[in-house]
Amino acid sequence: MKVVTTENLHKRFGKLEVLKGIDLSVESGKIISIIGPSGSGKSTLLRCLNHLEVADFGSIKIDDEYICEADEHGKAVYKSGKEVLRICSRLGMVFQNFNLFPHKSVIENLMEAPIVVKGESKEAAMEKAEKLLEKVGLSEKRDAYPGQLSGGQQQRVAIARALAMDPEIMLFDEPTSALDPELIGEVLKVIKDLAEEKMTMIIVTHEMNFAREISDKVLFMDDGDIIAEGPPKEIFENPDHPRIITFLDKIIQKS
Amino acid sequence: MDPAYLAEITEYIAMGMGVTLKVFGVTLLFSIPLGILCALGKLSSFRIIHAVLGVYTWIFRGTPLLLQLFFTYYGLPIITGGAIQLGPEVAAYITFVFNYGAYFTEIFRAGIQSIGRGQYEASKALGMSPWETMRRIILPQAVKVILPPLGNESINLIKDTALCSVIAVTEILKNAKRIMSRDFDITALVIAALIYLALTFIVIQVFRHLEKRYSYYSIK
Repeated sequence: MKVVTTENLHKRFGKLEVLKGIDLSVESGKIISIIGPSGSGKSTLLRCLNHLEVADFGSIKIDDEYICEADEHGKAVYKSGKEVLRICSRLGMVFQNFNLFPHKSVIENLMEAPIVVKGESKEAAMEKAEKLLEKVGLSEKRDAYPGQLSGGQQQRVAIARALAMDPEIMLFDEPTSALDPELIGEVLKVIKDLAEEKMTMIIVTHEMNFAREISDKVLFMDDGDIIAEGPPKEIFENPDHPRIITFLDKIIQKS
Repeated sequence: MDPAYLAEITEYIAMGMGVTLKVFGVTLLFSIPLGILCALGKLSSFRIIHAVLGVYTWIFRGTPLLLQLFFTYYGLPIITGGAIQLGPEVAAYITFVFNYGAYFTEIFRAGIQSIGRGQYEASKALGMSPWETMRRIILPQAVKVILPPLGNESINLIKDTALCSVIAVTEILKNAKRIMSRDFDITALVIAALIYLALTFIVIQVFRHLEKRYSYYSIK
């Protein structure tokens, strides 16, 4: 079953066309990695999916509900803000900079949205939050504030916070890019655990080994287009597109 | 110096403290919500609201408070042909609320704007509405940023209440001045100064305490 579908998705920032007609389709339970050079539109694509960016042209469908549909000129026409918020609540998002709520403790960060948005009881929200903290290995930090945690710990809390809303699909926007190298592993491990539970995930990443190991499909984006997609083996071992070869060479040289 | 004289004039001057505190309290009570509302208006995307609020803060921050007091007390009855004739205290309340509301508008606007975009995005990604985001995520964090300038303004407010003496509000300075002209002696002024110092000292302590309470977390 397709859970995320976009057709002819266009996004422009002023004169700069960041997405040039993206057709994306993600099957339930699959893990998609999006790789490619900086400025290729990877993050923008992800952010369009949950309405953090507003697409100019094309359509976006979550499950079988459109959040925006193309009109006769191809322009993206969005549903009402409330509807979009409702549909997008099936997507959980993890940001590069964590974006935890600094004024709330770890457990409060996890309980906030379930209580405010879903109307869950405090007890139910806390019970779930505690389970999720255990899952990401941070039970002992439940009463700490985000500012007291390392980057890796903050990101694990952020993942737990997104999971507290019981999303069907998780979006990861460069989840390890802001981390010191020695902290990357702990975050990747949590994502791998999710993969084993067959969570549908779309991951924008620069961690090539990770993308290769975990993904069902890898998309290579360049200059606002998906220029190649396929199983990781195909993309990483037999890249046929010169852009991909150059990109992978650079990454390998760096590491 | 005669202790009986000191006690007598201190009591008289301190009688004005009630009014001073009333102006202080009423101003804070109404100008803070007014400031929050106007700050949200300034941050909204309605151009007309921006323009109106821009004129409001410009006028009230751009002219002397003393002139505004004169205007409300002496000017309004003339303009309205006597239809609006406010008592000195009410005129003081209204002028102070709008004047301080204008300053608070800018303080709150800056405080809210200091909270990064990431907080809005995280809230939205979690399904929170703009209003819930503002109330539960942005404003509580903005308070931490706003407290120091708010403390400054509150100290100013204590001192600005002295301006009310010019429209016949019998507050601390007015009473002190009466005694000074009666006795040709500046002791009354010194006592008034001490009372202001005591009041501002309390305000400083209150804000120090509040800032401490908000220091439980850091914005990284």
